[in-house]
Formats: sequence, C-alpha cells, structure tokens
Amino acid sequence: MQAVHSKPKSTVVKNIGLGVFTVLFVLMIVAPFLWLLLAAFKTGKELYSMPVQILPSGFNFQNFADAFKMQPLASYIVNSLIVAILSTVLIIIIASLVSFALARTQIKGKRLVLLMLLSISLLPPVTILNPIYLMMSNLKMMNTTYGLALVLVAIELPTAAWYLMSFFQTIPDALEESAMIDGANVVTIFCRILMPLVAPGVFTVSIMTFIAVWNNYLFASVLNPSKKARTVTVALTMYAGETTTPWNTIAAAAIVSCVPLVIMVLICQKRIVSGMVDGAVKG
Amino acid sequence: MHNKQRLIFGYIALIPAIIVFCVFIVYPVINTFYLSFCNYRTQTIRQGPQWIGFANYAQMFSDDKMWTALKFTVLFTLISVVLESVLGMLCALIMNRQGKTRALVCAMILIPWCIPTVVSGLMWNYIFAESYGVLNYLLQLTGLTSGAVRWLTDSNYAFLSILISDVWKTVPYMSLLMLSALKTVDASFLEAAQIDGANKVQSFFKISMPCMKPIIIVAVMFRTIQSFRIYDLIRVLTNGGPQGKTTSLTIYTITQYTTYGNMGYGAALAVLTFIISMIIAVCFQDGVKSKLEV
Repeated sequence: MQAVHSKPKSTVVKNIGLGVFTVLFVLMIVAPFLWLLLAAFKTGKELYSMPVQILPSGFNFQNFADAFKMQPLASYIVNSLIVAILSTVLIIIIASLVSFALARTQIKGKRLVLLMLLSISLLPPVTILNPIYLMMSNLKMMNTTYGLALVLVAIELPTAAWYLMSFFQTIPDALEESAMIDGANVVTIFCRILMPLVAPGVFTVSIMTFIAVWNNYLFASVLNPSKKARTVTVALTMYAGETTTPWNTIAAAAIVSCVPLVIMVLICQKRIVSGMVDGAVKG
Repeated sequence: MHNKQRLIFGYIALIPAIIVFCVFIVYPVINTFYLSFCNYRTQTIRQGPQWIGFANYAQMFSDDKMWTALKFTVLFTLISVVLESVLGMLCALIMNRQGKTRALVCAMILIPWCIPTVVSGLMWNYIFAESYGVLNYLLQLTGLTSGAVRWLTDSNYAFLSILISDVWKTVPYMSLLMLSALKTVDASFLEAAQIDGANKVQSFFKISMPCMKPIIIVAVMFRTIQSFRIYDLIRVLTNGGPQGKTTSLTIYTITQYTTYGNMGYGAALAVLTFIISMIIAVCFQDGVKSKLEV
C-alpha cells in the first residue's frame, strides 16, 4: 500500500527536478551565446554602460556594417568557404574509399591502416606545424586556399573515415551479391550501389567535416597569414586594437561567422546527433 | 574472379589516404625529430639546419618557462578531463530520464560544439571583462564578491576562466557521448540487479559502468589528447598571460617559432608534446585497441 501511495509523489518531485535541470542546463548553454548575440546589436555606449544594460535599444545593424568595413570580412568568408568545401569534398572521397576497403573487403593489413588513422588523430598538430609551414613555403603554396585545404584533409580524415566505416558496415551483403551475379564489377558496385546507400551518412559526415575545417584556427593562422588569403576564424582575432576592443563589432563578426553553422546544425540536428552516437557506439 | 578484383580495388582505394598520410603526417613528424637536433633559425634560414646533437634538449630541460608551461598543461589536462567527464556523465544520466524535452536539449547541446573555439573564447573574454563584464556585474549584484574579479589578469583566476570556457564548450558534447554509452546498457541487467536488491548507485557502478567502459574509454582518451594540445582558447582568452602563467606547451612552442624564430628549439618542444601524447595514448591501451578493430 505504502509503495503505491509514495510513487506519484516521488514522480512529481522527479519531474520538477528534471524540469529545473532542463531549464538550468539549457540556460547555461544558451545564455553566454545569447549575450554575444545581444552585444552585436548594442551601440558603444550601451556596451559599456553601468549598470549593465541587458537588451540593446533596438535592432541596430551598424555593428555588422562596421564588421564588414573594418576588415574585408566578405572575402574572408569566401576564403573559408572555398577551403571548407574543397577539404570536405576531398575528405569524403578519400574517406569513402578507405572505409569501403576496411569495412567491405578482405584486404590484408587493415590494422595497419587503422593504426595510421588513429595516429593522425592522436598526433598533436604542433608536432607537424613547422615542417608543413616550410614545405608549403617551398612549394609556393603559402596563402593559398588549396594549400590550407590539403593540409586540413590530412588532419580531419580519420574522424570522417571512422564515421563512414560505421555506415558502410550497416549495408547487408545480399545487395552487393545480387549486383555481382548481374555481372557488375566492383567499381560499379561501389559507385552505383554502395555510395547511394551510404548517402545519408555522407551527408552527416560532410556537415561535421565542414564545421571542423571552417573552425580551424592553428593551421589557418600559420599557413594563410596574408590579408588576401585569411580565413574567418583568423580575422575574428584581428578586430581588437592595441588599446581598444570593439566588442560590439567583434560580436557582430563572430555571429556572422557562426550563424551559418548554427542554422546548418539545427536543421540537421537529428542526423548529427545520431551520427555522433553511432560513431561513439561503434568505437 | 570477382573476389580478386575486389581485393585489388580494396588496395587501390587506400592509395590516396596513404599518400596524404605520408606527405602531411609522416614526413613532417620525421622532419620535426630531425630539426630538434639542429640549430635552425628564421634569421639564418639560408644556412639551413646545423646538427648540434642534444643541445636543444639540454636547453629544454633547464628552461624554467618550459617547466611552467608543462606543469600548466598537465594540470589543466587532468582537471579539465576529470571535471568534464564527471559533469558529462551526470548530465547524461539526467538526460536519459528526460522525455520530450530531450530533443530540445540535444539541439542546444550542438551549439557550443559547432561554433569555432575562437568565437567561444572571444565570447568568454567579453563575459569575463573586468569593469564592464556581465559576470562581475552579476557577482557584485548578488553580493557574492565585493569588488571586481580580475578574471583574465589575475593568475589565480585566469586558470579558472580557461577551465570554465573549456567546460562550456566540451561538457555538452561529452554528455551526448555519455548518453550514447548509457544506451548500450542492457535494461534487463539493471532490472535483475534491482530485484536482487541493489540500489541505484550500486547498479550504476557495478553494472552500467562495466557495460559502458569501452565507449567511455575512447571518449576520455580523445578528450585527454585534445585537452593536452589546448591552443585556440588560450590564444584568445589570455594569450598565455598573466606573466606566462597560462602558457600551454603548444602556445610556448609556437612562441619559439614566431617570436624567436628558433625552429630547432621549437622542434624539441614539439617532440616533447608528441612523446607525452603517445604516453597518454598508451595509458588508454583499451581505447587504442578498440580503435584498431574493424
């Protein structure tokens, strides 16, 4: 009897507890970002007023205009886009091939290939930084979008390959066997049967790779320092002057640089979450 | 016939990845090891690297700044990884009980994950600002502190500031991984334990944890490796200051490259970072092993 009575009471408490946690957790995640968003609409006066003014007086787009005027932000966005798209396309091609070989063939030396992927992701980027810098300047590939894109292909390859491998493994063998009986060769099977089947996975991995490349700072700052070749993440750190830090302009530029990512992620959030979960469970 | 064709294609499919790996990973690593035994400076780059044996390493072990940077990086790695793993697991345990709201929380979680570290660093820099920052304002408003806290310029607080920013960016993602680990726990085991009279804490440590161990080990391994190479966040938050108190090993190495143009000594530091990363990987043997299985 007692158990029956106490149960509803404890679920109410639990639900309230869960509700409080949810609100707090979401607030902690969103509040700092919201604060940055608000700053992007504040005038200089509102920004430094005491006591702190929480809301800007209105939708003031001057900071966004300043962000594009103080630096050629538009061309930096184009640079970042080119680097991210180029890297993502190359990574998807190379990683699909590797994942196919590892997940669906009986080749020897799989462990060696996996060791190669693992060692890339365990390697601290600073260990290869200077030789890559020297190599790129010798090859006259400094300050080029394709040069930076190629380096980032190597860095981001393992993550993409691991995710894609878990997608390749889910395809039943029967599909391939029937195509083989019909006389299709392995290249046709790969291009016409397997790739369309893993397309949803490719889509998710593309978004995750795009984000990783877009967000890279270390290699972008070392390999593309010139004004012409700079990427967005590097440009963001250059609004601050010697004496003044125009936080509203920085906030506006930062919002511009990550709003595309946030929109992309929120639209595809279910796929990304399940992609991450599958990747983690696969190991 | 088909099988042979398939094998050949399998080997050919590896070629692009192996080329990329050799050019952008293997060659640079070997080159860094070589340069760490050389005197090689930007100022005299035309002379090329000159072999000087272990001189860079000797200099490194007697360099107080290197020891400061190493201590900071190790301490930061230990504290951030433990904190983020525990918080991530706690959040995951609660999220696991959520119903409809879980989708919303999952969507929100992706925001800190997807924005550039540079942006989150700048964001926290603005929040931590001494005179006009919102954090100091709230702390003084609620009476938690009497004066303004020098979040980024006081060496005691700078560490905490970096930790808070890192936690904000990482815990949400970590809790998602932990949530996926919780999903692998077989519910019937937990029921059986409950019938046998185990309480929730017992069944978490005795049943859930062993089931989740493989996933958790991999997640924590990568977090440790990434935490150890921290760079972007510190660059925009404190830039290694005040007085070099928050200089990480990577920041210090890059200062050697850029400010002093000392590529030989920088390479020795880079090798040190490499070796410690490999030691971390060896400590997570089981994680490494699980990544080496198809």
